[in-house]
Amino acid sequence: MRPGDIVLVVLMVVAAAASMILVSRANAGEKGSLAVVEVNGKEVLRVALGAGQASRDFTVAGVQGKSTLKVSDGRVRMVRSACRDKLCVGVGWIDSPGRSIVCLPNRVVIRVTGKRGGGGKVDSVTE
Amino acid sequence: MTGTRRVTNLALLVSIGLVLSIIESTFPPLLPVPGAKLGLANIATVIALYMFGPRMALEVTILRSVIGGLLRGSVIGLFLSFSGGLVSTLVMIFLYLLFDRTFSVVGVSVAGAVTHNVVQLLAAYLLVRHLALFYYMPYLILIAVPTGLFVGFAARRVNQSLEGLPLQAR
Repeated sequence: MRPGDIVLVVLMVVAAAASMILVSRANAGEKGSLAVVEVNGKEVLRVALGAGQASRDFTVAGVQGKSTLKVSDGRVRMVRSACRDKLCVGVGWIDSPGRSIVCLPNRVVIRVTGKRGGGGKVDSVTE
Repeated sequence: MTGTRRVTNLALLVSIGLVLSIIESTFPPLLPVPGAKLGLANIATVIALYMFGPRMALEVTILRSVIGGLLRGSVIGLFLSFSGGLVSTLVMIFLYLLFDRTFSVVGVSVAGAVTHNVVQLLAAYLLVRHLALFYYMPYLILIAVPTGLFVGFAARRVNQSLEGLPLQAR
C-alpha cells in the first residue's frame, strides 16, 4: 500500500457516503403521490398513491412479456416480470419520490413522483 | 515472449477471468441495477497488467467480456461488461504507466473497480434513459472499494508467486 492508495480509497468512500446522505435526507419522510409506469421510455400507466388504499394489481406489456405491479397503501412494487433475473421484483416496495424500479430486459420503469418534480422529470437530487 | 507462450498465457488469463465471472454470477445480485457485480474477474486483468503489460491487459479484458457475454447469451450483459471493462482497463493502464509511484497495484485495482461500476451504470443509463438509475451510484462506488481492495491484494499475492517462474522466457 502506498499513500496514494489510501487517499484514493478514503476519497471514494467519503464521496459515496456524502452523496448517499444527501439523497436520503432530501427524500426522507416524504411520500410519493403518483406512480408512473413507462415501457421503452413511453408512459403507459399512471396510478395515484395514497395511504390506506386497497391493494390492486396492474399488468403492462413489456418488450419481453408481461410485467405485473402491485399498488397498496401508498406503495408500489413489481410482483411478476417476464425478465430473466427478476431484479425488479427483488427491489420490493418503493414509496418515496425519486425512487424507481427499473427492469432493463423488459424495458419497464416504475417511477414514484411527489409534489416536487412531478412533471415527468426526476427530482433534482439524483441529477 | 514467443507467440506460442504469449497465446498460452493469454488463454490462461482469459480462462481465469471467465471462471471467476461464472462463479460470481451465481451470487445473488447485490443491487437492483443491471450489470452490478462484484468484479472479481478483474483479477485476471490486473495480473495481466502487472505481469505482462498494458497490451495483454487490454486483450484479456476484451476477450473475457466478449466470450463471457456469448456464454451467458445476453447481448445487454455483453454491452455492459464490455464498456465497463474497456474503460476501467484504460484507466488502470493510465495510472500504471503515469502514476506508478503514487499508486501500488492495490490503488490501481480500486480505481479500476470504481470506474468499472460507474461506466456500467452510465451504459445502463444509455439503454434505459432514466436518471433515477443514478440513485444507485453511491452504493455502486461503495461496493467497488472493498472488491477493488480484494482484487488488488489477490493480484499482488499471485504476482509475488509468479515472479520466479519463467513465464516470459523464450
